Amino acid sequence: MTKREKLLLKASVAFALLFAIAPTVNAMHIMEGYLPAGYCVAWGVICLPFLIAGFISLKNKIKTNRRNLTLIAMSGAFIFVISSLKIPSVTGSCSHMTGTGLGAILFGPASVSVLGIIVLIFQAVLLAHGGLTTLGANTFSMAVAGPLVAFGIYKLCGKLNVNRRVSVFLAAFLGDIFTYCVTSVQLALAYPSEVGGTAASAVKFLGVFAPTQMPLAVIEGILTVVIVIGLETYAVPELRNIGFLKGKEAE
Amino acid sequence: MIVIDKLCYQSKLRYVNASEKFVYAVLTLAMCVASRSALTAAVVFFVNVYLTVAKGGIPFARYGKLLLIPAAFLLVSTTALVVNLSRVPLDAFAFPMGGWYLTGSTSSVLEALRLCYKALAAVTCLYFLSLTTVMTDILGVLRKLHIPGLVIELMMLIYRFIFLLMETASAITTSQNSRLANRDYRTKLRSFGGMGSALLVRSIKRSGALYDAMEARCYDGELKVLPEERPAKKREILFIAGYETVLLGMAVWSWVR
Repeated sequence: MTKREKLLLKASVAFALLFAIAPTVNAMHIMEGYLPAGYCVAWGVICLPFLIAGFISLKNKIKTNRRNLTLIAMSGAFIFVISSLKIPSVTGSCSHMTGTGLGAILFGPASVSVLGIIVLIFQAVLLAHGGLTTLGANTFSMAVAGPLVAFGIYKLCGKLNVNRRVSVFLAAFLGDIFTYCVTSVQLALAYPSEVGGTAASAVKFLGVFAPTQMPLAVIEGILTVVIVIGLETYAVPELRNIGFLKGKEAE
Repeated sequence: MIVIDKLCYQSKLRYVNASEKFVYAVLTLAMCVASRSALTAAVVFFVNVYLTVAKGGIPFARYGKLLLIPAAFLLVSTTALVVNLSRVPLDAFAFPMGGWYLTGSTSSVLEALRLCYKALAAVTCLYFLSLTTVMTDILGVLRKLHIPGLVIELMMLIYRFIFLLMETASAITTSQNSRLANRDYRTKLRSFGGMGSALLVRSIKRSGALYDAMEARCYDGELKVLPEERPAKKREILFIAGYETVLLGMAVWSWVR
């Protein structure tokens, strides 16, 4: 073998190993202990206003109708269960949805911020996805940034009269992509590259996670559309209950 | 249904005072993340494995498998940390690729290694908590920390609903499988979506029924549970205090050195 062939072989082995060892593809939770202490606190503080806003909105919802308490709790459990189930994936590795895009479309971004942090705590403690020190960073990317973008795009598409299925797909897909970008930037800020600084580091993180995250985002988009179609067919009164369909649209 | 939850209920440390375990896990985690030395990480790692496996009676094979859960993330992101694409080769390794080099410096490799064992040690802290303290006990501790009642109540309900919904989901999936709903990729996607929407409809119905049941039992805005008090032993508190002081010393030493 020439030197170049050897190198190619090595590179391909490394690449294959990377995919062989990565059997579970989660939405990108930053693992426990992976961020320096300062960043853990900072991301937590950044999340605070969103959490407080979410808390107040939940409180008002419950005040207007007490029955909403169990409904909100059920939606939280729904997000957790949807994100813990294996979804069909192309590569055969087992992957999971984030479910927050769907949550944001159905329940609004304010409730998803509080439900999101609760779900993330449960995911850390019960499933070992994510962690307690990285809770702030993960909350920001998955329970604040992603749902906000998903909800914004969904509303924007509604204003522009885009087909509802297309807009649901776009919302879930782009929400997922945005979550993945935010997580990469969070990692890059904590660990800037020696060559090229934070920007180069962000590109590297985006690059290594792209092979798992891009297909996942597409699948998440498709599944969200299928779920919403199912709901529109069978659950109009329930959807009206949670405020997803307003009176006119439901007919 | 959830492996960690099931193991946790079997742990021999389950009936130790919950606040004590919580404080131990959180303090150790903080020390571990704040410290820069490999020694701290090693001490934390082995003490936690000893406590969870030997004292708690969690099967070692199970524990090892759980430790592999974050391995994928660790591997992928550490690769991103170490490997650079640059025109000048750095000192640790360099593979030429055309006019560029896939390269990394010794200091970054060392830094990445340090990060790896720090993160693994932190994961054992999390596992200590989740494999010895059941969720309802953790909620009790959070209540003592004055987390708003609404959040605790939501967490309690969500924790309960998770198992209801998982059971429903697995029943739906079983019945779908028995009707050949997973024969190719298209049907797989469609049946997953169908399951998701059926799950949401059922859960909304269930939540209504649950509220009726709660109201029939005089629910008036507050869920009251009777916590069981298991006082912490003095010896254990002293041990934890001593251990954390040692860790703090090591963390401080790793910074001033």
